[in-house]
Amino acid sequence: MGSNQSYWQKNLRLIMICLLIWFIVSFGFGLLLVEPLNNFSLGGYKLGFWFAQQGSIYTFVALIFWYSSKMNKLDKEHGVEE
Amino acid sequence: MNKHTKLAILIAPLLLIAGYIASDYYLEHQAAQDKVFYLNQQNNCDVLADKCVLESGEFLISVSDRQGTTQINATFPLDTVVLMLVNDDNSQQIYQLAMADSPYYWQAKTDLRESIPRAGDSRKLRLVAKIKGGSYISEFVSTTISR
Repeated sequence: MGSNQSYWQKNLRLIMICLLIWFIVSFGFGLLLVEPLNNFSLGGYKLGFWFAQQGSIYTFVALIFWYSSKMNKLDKEHGVEE
Repeated sequence: MNKHTKLAILIAPLLLIAGYIASDYYLEHQAAQDKVFYLNQQNNCDVLADKCVLESGEFLISVSDRQGTTQINATFPLDTVVLMLVNDDNSQQIYQLAMADSPYYWQAKTDLRESIPRAGDSRKLRLVAKIKGGSYISEFVSTTISR
């Protein structure tokens, strides 16, 4: 029971981190901070614009695999891997 | 591909769509906030001769007068238009223009033609055009060049 609760708590924590990164990258970098970020450039594009157009999507894809990898480790820790 | 990857791949597009909707809502909210833009007049303005164009970037408004009906023609659809004829003592007659055929055309009967009938006569006007919470304002002088 304690192990299940610990597993669930760690899972929730991971989900919250993912959602926080999702929010920071999409809203933070793509909308709220777009003007200050546009003072920098990446690959010839203004950074704020790049985050709104491509950067946030790259981050979302990276988050999928990062979440998956962390959950696999968590499964192993708790002996519930596939 | 294990269950976590499948789950994450399933959830990610939903978050993407949620983000898209929320961004749209945020930007729409920002656009709806009141903003004021100033329209400048192009060259000399003679409303009676149909030569009076006000501009702000790509937004243009043409002001003309036909038989006492003052008309506005804009490059973007407008929500409301108010025209003010300013008197010498700085008081003003206010006219709420009515939509003509479409939101691009607005008109109202005014005293403008009667007040500046001869060449050399001039009258100060003020215009307030509203588009989705944004106000385009202008103060300009119409000078009758020739009759």
